[in-house]
Parts: sequence; structure tokens; C-alpha cells
Amino acid sequence: MEKVLNALLAIIGGVGGALLLFYLLNRFAELLPGRVEERLKPYLYVFPAVGAIGLFLIYPAIQTILFSFANRSSTAFVGFSNYTNLLSSPEFQTTLINTLLWIIVVPAATVVFGLAVAVLADRLSAQSEKLSKTLIFLPMAISGVGAVAIWKFIYVYAPPGQVQIGLQNAIVTAFGADPIAWLQIDTAKLNSFMLMIILIWAQTGFAMVLLSAAVKGVPEDTLEAGRIDGANERQIFFRIIVPQIWGTVITVFITVLIGVMKTFDIVYAATNGNFGTNIIAVDFYNQLFTNGNAGAAAAIVVMLIIAIIPIMIYQVRHFRAEEASR
Amino acid sequence: MRKRRLIQQVAVAAAVAFATTSCLSAGPTSTGASGGLGAGGTPAGDKEVEILFGFGGDQTRGFQAGFTEFTQRTGIKIKFSEASAFETLIRTRVAGNNLPDIALFPQPGILTDIATSGKLADMSKVVDLEKVKSTLVPGELETGTGADGVVYGIPAAMNVKSLVFYSKKNWEAAGYPIPTTQDELVALTNRIKTEGKTPWCLGIESESATGWPATDWMESFVLLQSGPETYDKWVKHQIPFNDPVVKQAGQAFESLVLAEGNVLGGRAAVASTSFQTAGNSMFDATPGCWMMRQGNFITQQGFFPDAQFKDKDGTIGVFQFPGKSATDQPVLGGGDIAGVFNGADPDTKAVMEFIASPAFDGGTSQGGWLSPHTTFDQAKYPDALTRTISKIGYEATVFRFDGSDQMPGEVGSGTFWRGMTAWIAGSQDLDKTLNDIEASWPKGTG
Repeated sequence: MEKVLNALLAIIGGVGGALLLFYLLNRFAELLPGRVEERLKPYLYVFPAVGAIGLFLIYPAIQTILFSFANRSSTAFVGFSNYTNLLSSPEFQTTLINTLLWIIVVPAATVVFGLAVAVLADRLSAQSEKLSKTLIFLPMAISGVGAVAIWKFIYVYAPPGQVQIGLQNAIVTAFGADPIAWLQIDTAKLNSFMLMIILIWAQTGFAMVLLSAAVKGVPEDTLEAGRIDGANERQIFFRIIVPQIWGTVITVFITVLIGVMKTFDIVYAATNGNFGTNIIAVDFYNQLFTNGNAGAAAAIVVMLIIAIIPIMIYQVRHFRAEEASR
Repeated sequence: MRKRRLIQQVAVAAAVAFATTSCLSAGPTSTGASGGLGAGGTPAGDKEVEILFGFGGDQTRGFQAGFTEFTQRTGIKIKFSEASAFETLIRTRVAGNNLPDIALFPQPGILTDIATSGKLADMSKVVDLEKVKSTLVPGELETGTGADGVVYGIPAAMNVKSLVFYSKKNWEAAGYPIPTTQDELVALTNRIKTEGKTPWCLGIESESATGWPATDWMESFVLLQSGPETYDKWVKHQIPFNDPVVKQAGQAFESLVLAEGNVLGGRAAVASTSFQTAGNSMFDATPGCWMMRQGNFITQQGFFPDAQFKDKDGTIGVFQFPGKSATDQPVLGGGDIAGVFNGADPDTKAVMEFIASPAFDGGTSQGGWLSPHTTFDQAKYPDALTRTISKIGYEATVFRFDGSDQMPGEVGSGTFWRGMTAWIAGSQDLDKTLNDIEASWPKGTG
């Protein structure tokens, strides 16, 4: 009860405080002479947001960049040694390769599956479309750790002779073979791919919702025109539907991609990066919290920022182009 | 237009000036780095003491029950702060100077690391150390001692890890003897194997902590093969991690447990077998494996099958992981080490004195908890199994704290775990494993 009351107070205080701030800023502007008021008002309105971003985003980012050139306890500068140590270690190289694989495979697979579901469900009856979409959307609501807990029922290993609660091992042992420790098999990165499936499973619903809306937005007369001209279904899909929803495809791809670069919980909960499955976010966590090495952790984050910037720029440009063409 | 540009320039300049004021932190405040009373906690004399700890569930209930009588007697209320990620939380709270009064550290390595910041109290100024030491299991107090020789932590609970569990029923039916030396243990392992059975249960899968059960095996062998002095040197990095004595320990572990046919599922599967349920096969009508070395916590609820948990004394057997000879029986163990952040507060002092005394019962009501004091009233332990285990701890010729918990985090909960996992899974050999761990030891420590 006390907690609910506190939460309510916090909400009222927060929203009320923000209102009061803008009210006061507005009053302040109105006190000024007309022309100055005109000119200053937009800045006053933008100021709280920009200030908050500066405080909570830009300041920590600059601090992180500085720390990446400092030692493990951030007390003295050490030049580039955090970067050279990381980049020369074979473990970190594996981590980078894995991260790259995640970045390529997961967004692509998510878009393909999402689009397939969107297009195919469009052809079902209204009832079954609703049902199938709901089912596919459900995993979106599950946290990464929860998803791993669910997928452990597929991958988990128990010694031979014990009850196999993992689906894959239950099948394998039903055929008389010994159970297999699936998440340990790094041949052809099999274990990494099995972890990627978890994220694809969780993200497909998101891709489906956006792409489905886009597919439904494709004007019927363009399809009609195609059919009259004698296009088959495949041509209609690739030459008429896909070009018209391409903008949405890119948006979904990039949104999932940025999510993938930050993915942490799935790998942390499933293997903690063992058996050659490590990815950059897990490595960062272990550097900071297991090793207490702030320098290496900051260096990893800086590399992640550098990798993400071009994607952000592309995303913003793409968004502007979309807006302009509307 | 011009004015606008000016405003923009001023804004940018302000942002840059603001941003560049950020710089490196001043580092650990060296004021009173040793011999202090700690740096914080709740206000002194407010009759409230906050204890931060990392366990949960039954253990928390047992721990809380241990203070009921104390609170009634003294009027000091305890604020129990349960942290599911203790290590992360304590580091954050220390960095933010938002300190508890007392914290129970499962890993002394973190305690001694935090002690270098000068925020932990010198225990000799909080409690009567000589008195505490007189009843403690020998070797426990040394664990909480920093590099500067000051005692910063006193154990509040003891774990015993040199234990081998077996199924009483199956063991008696098979007529196996209890081994009292390593040679007898090897002979027994070979006997079970030649009878066409699998002697050992082993699982080292523990989600994000996968690998730790294997470090206990390595530590046990280093301790019993090379003695406590060499063990201490190894833990403190006075000899390299890849010293021949460690390789020898790894080879002994490998030939006893990991050899073909010695472990259920084969060595590669050990890394995917959960440590929690690895031993359940021992209790089957036709056991999948016969022995499991594990710490005493495994007798708590949720590990062995319920049928065994309900009748521990009737079903679960235990013997000490034997030493080289019948008279040389070192014990590997662990415990929760209490450190004080608020030694200036008389309430905190009273609570710490209580925790450090043999009178403190931190969880016998829930089972599984062991006092680190040899004079603890053993009648309080709920079953004969727990009494057997506590006796092994109290009568140890040598007691040493879990080494990986004392090593720097990079090694103790990083490369040591990972290295053992990769080695046991068969993706790298013992030499490379030990060399890699040695190379990961942070420079300038130990």
C-alpha cells in the first residue's frame, strides 16, 4: 500500500514538476520584450530536453571514452593499451566474429520470417489470421532470460540414464543414441546459431506486425494491374509488393540490428560466453563486473559506439528520405 | 541570422566546457587505508543495523531466525538486505558510498579488494579478535585478512567442501568400504569401474557461473598433494598459476574422475550437466554413478531428490574426501565473511560481536548452515548428517578457504571457471588451460 502511494506521489510529482517547469519558463519568456521573446521561446522549450540528454547521455559517453584510455580503476591514463590488449587476444577476436555473425544473421532472418508470416497470414481467413499472428507475436512479451529458460527445454542435457527434459535430447535418445550436449558444439558455430534462433523467435513477431501493416497498405489496384498484365504470384511479390514496402523492411532491419548489437541476456543466461559463444555485450559485462576492469569495459563500449554510429546515420538519413517522399 | 549563429556557438561552447569537466576519478581515498573504522552505514546509535548478503530462500529465513532472540534482548533492529547479485551490488554501493553497516561476503577476494578503498573497518577495533580466534576453525580468520595484515572480515558461516556423498542403500548393498586415503579412493574407483559401473557423478554447469565445481576439485588436489603452504602461495600468486604442482593436481583429477568410463556421461558432457542434479543418479535402483564430491550446501532442499531430502540420515551417506594418509586430512571449505563498514556505531559493533560468537545460530532451523566455531552447540544441528559434516570441519588437521574465491575476480570467477570448462569439455589441453589462466592474472596484484 505504502509502495503504491509512493509510486502515485512520484508520478504526480514528476508530471506536475515538468508542467510547472514549462509554465515558469513560459512566464519568464513573456516578461521579455516581444522580439526577444519570439526568438528565445523555442530555445527555452527545447532546453530541458537537451539538458537532460546532455546530462544522461552525452556526459556519460564522453566519460566512457576517457575511461577507455585509462587503467582498470580509472586512475591513470594508459594510452591505447586497452584497445591493443583486447584486439590482440584470440578470445576477443572470437567475440567480434560471433557478434558480426549475430548482426548479419539475426536481422536478416527476422525480416524474412516476419515478412513470410505477414504475407501468408494475409491470405488466411480473418479468424485464423488473428490467431496465428497472436501466437507469433506472443514471444515479444517474454524477456531474454525467460526465453532462454523456455529454450532450455529444447537444448538441455542430462546424463544418459536420466530423464531427458530437453526436446532434442529426448528425440536423440528415443532413437537409442546417447544424449548430446548441444550448447557445447562449436563446430560451424552450431551453438551460436542455436542461441540466435532464440532471439529470432522472440523478434519475428515485431517484424511481422510492422511488415503486415505495410503489406496491407499496398494498394490493391497495383496488384490488379500486375495480374492483368499477366504477372505470376512470385513476380507480384518481388516486383510489386516488396518495392512498395521496402522502407518498412529497412526500418525493421535496422531496429532489430541495433537490438542485436546490444543483446546480452540470451548469451549470458545460456552459456555466459563459454564454448566460443561470447558476444560483445557479455564480454563488456564480465570485464566490468567480474574482472573489475573499467578500462577494458569502456574500450569495448567505445568500439560498439563506433560500430553503431554509421548505422544510426544511415537510419536517420533513410527516415528523412521517407519523410520527404511522403 | 547572425544572432542565431552566435547563440548556437555559445551553446556548443557551453556543452564542450561542460563535457570536458568530466575527467578521471581521484582513485581510492587513501585516508585511513588501514586501521580505520569504516566509512558509513546507517546513523550511529539509531538502533538499526543493515546487513547485506547474497543468499536467499531458506537460507535467508534461517539467517533471520538467528536474530530473533538478539533483537528482543538488545532492541537493535536488523534490516536484512537480500541481494540476488551480491558482487555487483556491493561494488556499486561502495562506489556510490551508499554503504550497509555489515556485509556478508561469499568471496573473500572481493572483501580484501574493497578493503583497499579504506571503507571497511579494522576488525580488531570492532571485536575482541583473540577471543574470536580461540573458537574459530583454524584457517578461517586468515581468509579475511588483507594484504596489509589487518583483519577485515570474520566468518559468519562455514562451508565444508572436502566431502564425498553416496547413497547409503546402494553402497551397503554393493558392500563398498569407506576410503580413508587417496590410494584407497583410487582403488575403490577402479573396483567400481571393473564391476562395469560408473564411479563418479560430476556436473559443472551452473549457468553464468559454469565451471566453479571443477575449481573445487583442483583446489582439493593442490591442498592435499602439496600441502597448505604451497596452496597459500598458489592462491596469493606467489607461485605462478601454471606451476608444476597445479598441473600435477589437474592430472590427478583427470585420472581419477575424467578418465574414460569414470564419470557418468563422459567428460565432455560434464560441462553441460547441472551441478545441482548431477548426483541424483546415485539414488536410482540401478545407480548411474556412485560418488559425488561436493560442498555441504548440496544437502539443502532443491538439490538431492525430495525422497532423499526428507530422510537424509537414512539415505544420504558422506565421507571426507581423503588425504594422502589417514592422519593427514586437510579440509577445503568456505564461508560467508562478515565485513563492517560502520565500526563507529555501537549498534553495529554489538551485532558484529554477536555474529562472531559461537552463540550465533545463522540458520540451523532450516538446515544446511554450519557455524565456523568449534565450540558451537552441535545439538542444534537438525540431523546426524549435518553433525557428521560439521565434525569433519571442526576436526580438520588443516582447513583452507576455497582458493578461487580469494583470487582476483578475473581469475577466481573468470578465467579459472572458463578454463576448467573448456579443458573438461575437451576443447583445449591442461597445459594451455593453466598457461592461459596464468596469463590472465592481473598485473600488479598478488
